[in-house]
Amino acid sequence: MATTTAAKTRTEILISGFGGQGVIRMGQILGLCAIKQGHRVTMLKSHGTETRGGYVRAQLVISPEYVDSPVVEHADVFVAFSAPAYKKFYDCCSGRILYDPELVETIRADAPERHVAVPATALAKARFNNVLFANMIMLGALTRLAGLDYEAMKRAMLEVIPRFHEQNLAAMDVGYDLPVPV
Amino acid sequence: MATITRARVAEGLVAPWVEWERRCPKGRRLLEAGTYALTEGAIAAGCRVFAGYPITPATDIAEYMSKRLPQVGGYYMQCEDELAGMHACAGASLGGLKAMTATSGPGYTLMHDAYGWALTNEIPLVVVDAMRVGPISGITGAPGQGEFYVARYCTHGGNFETIVLSPSSVQEAFWLTIDAFNLSERFRTPVTILTDQVVSDMWEDLFLPDADEHLDFVVPRKHNLMMPFYPLGGADLDVPPNIIGRGTGVCVSAYTHTEEGYDIEEMEAQWAQTYRLVNKIRHHRDQLSRYETIGLEDADVVAVAYGADARTVKTAVLEARRQGLRAGFVRPITLWPFLDELYERDCHYVVCELNYDGQLVREVMRAAPDRAKVHFMGKSAELHTVAEVVAGLQGVARAGRIPELPYIWTEVR
Repeated sequence: MATTTAAKTRTEILISGFGGQGVIRMGQILGLCAIKQGHRVTMLKSHGTETRGGYVRAQLVISPEYVDSPVVEHADVFVAFSAPAYKKFYDCCSGRILYDPELVETIRADAPERHVAVPATALAKARFNNVLFANMIMLGALTRLAGLDYEAMKRAMLEVIPRFHEQNLAAMDVGYDLPVPV
Repeated sequence: MATITRARVAEGLVAPWVEWERRCPKGRRLLEAGTYALTEGAIAAGCRVFAGYPITPATDIAEYMSKRLPQVGGYYMQCEDELAGMHACAGASLGGLKAMTATSGPGYTLMHDAYGWALTNEIPLVVVDAMRVGPISGITGAPGQGEFYVARYCTHGGNFETIVLSPSSVQEAFWLTIDAFNLSERFRTPVTILTDQVVSDMWEDLFLPDADEHLDFVVPRKHNLMMPFYPLGGADLDVPPNIIGRGTGVCVSAYTHTEEGYDIEEMEAQWAQTYRLVNKIRHHRDQLSRYETIGLEDADVVAVAYGADARTVKTAVLEARRQGLRAGFVRPITLWPFLDELYERDCHYVVCELNYDGQLVREVMRAAPDRAKVHFMGKSAELHTVAEVVAGLQGVARAGRIPELPYIWTEVR
């Protein structure tokens, strides 16, 4: 999962959804994990003025070298946590799309092989009786799909999130252990 | 000057922190925001007072400062507005402490009166303006570059030069803040850090030198022990600032003043004061060059941008070169005094900035050999994309003009 732009190897990740879902937290953990492994990272975060409910987007670029453009124009991975986000940023993605089927009910028919359904919200409700753990389930699934270092990701999560470590670790396991198409 | 080669293109960054980075081998690598880097840079530079009023996207600086300053024996003061905030900073600096305030465009305009006081009385301090799109309140969470000229003419009345620096990354924001404090001490003047919503809000890997590491490149606060208070009619650098209760004493006035700081209404005194305020900067321009360039030795078309926008523009230049175009890149870090010498090459220029009216482009038109070959790509509220800038560079290289693109303005009159 890498594109070559201007003779550089960079990985672009786009995460978007509603405010309050933990989109930025998820990006922060991914970014810190990459930094701990010696990479350079940029993360643009944009959001509406509302704390909850408005749109939120995190654009991450990870590279072994200094990242010039921090803008995601060709995402290698796109995590869609809402139908409006899926619709708005679909064209910015040239790689895999992880979507939550409870929030993104209809997907485009043109590229089914690029889509991976991760029922993060439903699993968070069923397993933890709390939708707030959906982002950690998604993070576990993304770690597996992208072939990232799972132990390093867990350490980054523990560093970023101050509380509820056991539940968050369990939620990451739920996502990581999901059957993912290769 | 450090020159590295990547993708077979000569790249050059001219800034004091190229050397500083080498002198700080030990530290921590973090994922932090530009506002955090601006705060930590100020603390590392010896800033011990922050007074201001919170505003998006500079609010986090106030918040970080309120936490950090008490830890290092400093003072955080939330004021009733920006005008009071900057006056309080000027007062703190006159009292002997390094001070900073931070705001966005709507607050920056309110500071003009205080800026004038600090400027004419030669009070060192640092002002951060995290630009958002305007005019006035505009969109709080969207980047703009509308204060290019406002930062130059940051108070009324004329008869002064200003120092304005602009970082393009979180890491650079850290080093550049130390640099801004150093320059404010050496030149005895307020320095503006003109940043934008993207640099201040974005998170990026940040190297913070260990706190116990002695940063010997920080210019310490000194006290003026010599009469006269104001070396009028001279252009000397490194005259220590006047501090209340130390050395000679101090006399602060908004009026044209004598060397002892008293009000005076004589043309000769006005001449002497202006000579000092203008020429202490103009005569030491060599101390103020900070910029980044790529491929100026063979470029047919040079893209010009500063701040966060320069990030995508730089990627576009590298991409255009990969496609066979002889493209170059200029990123002024020092915005004022304007670095005319960066535009000596007789070639096409494509100036990208985050406003539709065209500001930086007018200075490039003035400085470049052929005004007709200076092109404008204005955009607002969002960074240029790599694809847009590549299209602009190709259009100019092949047809001598920027192609029509949605949300891009090319007209400057």
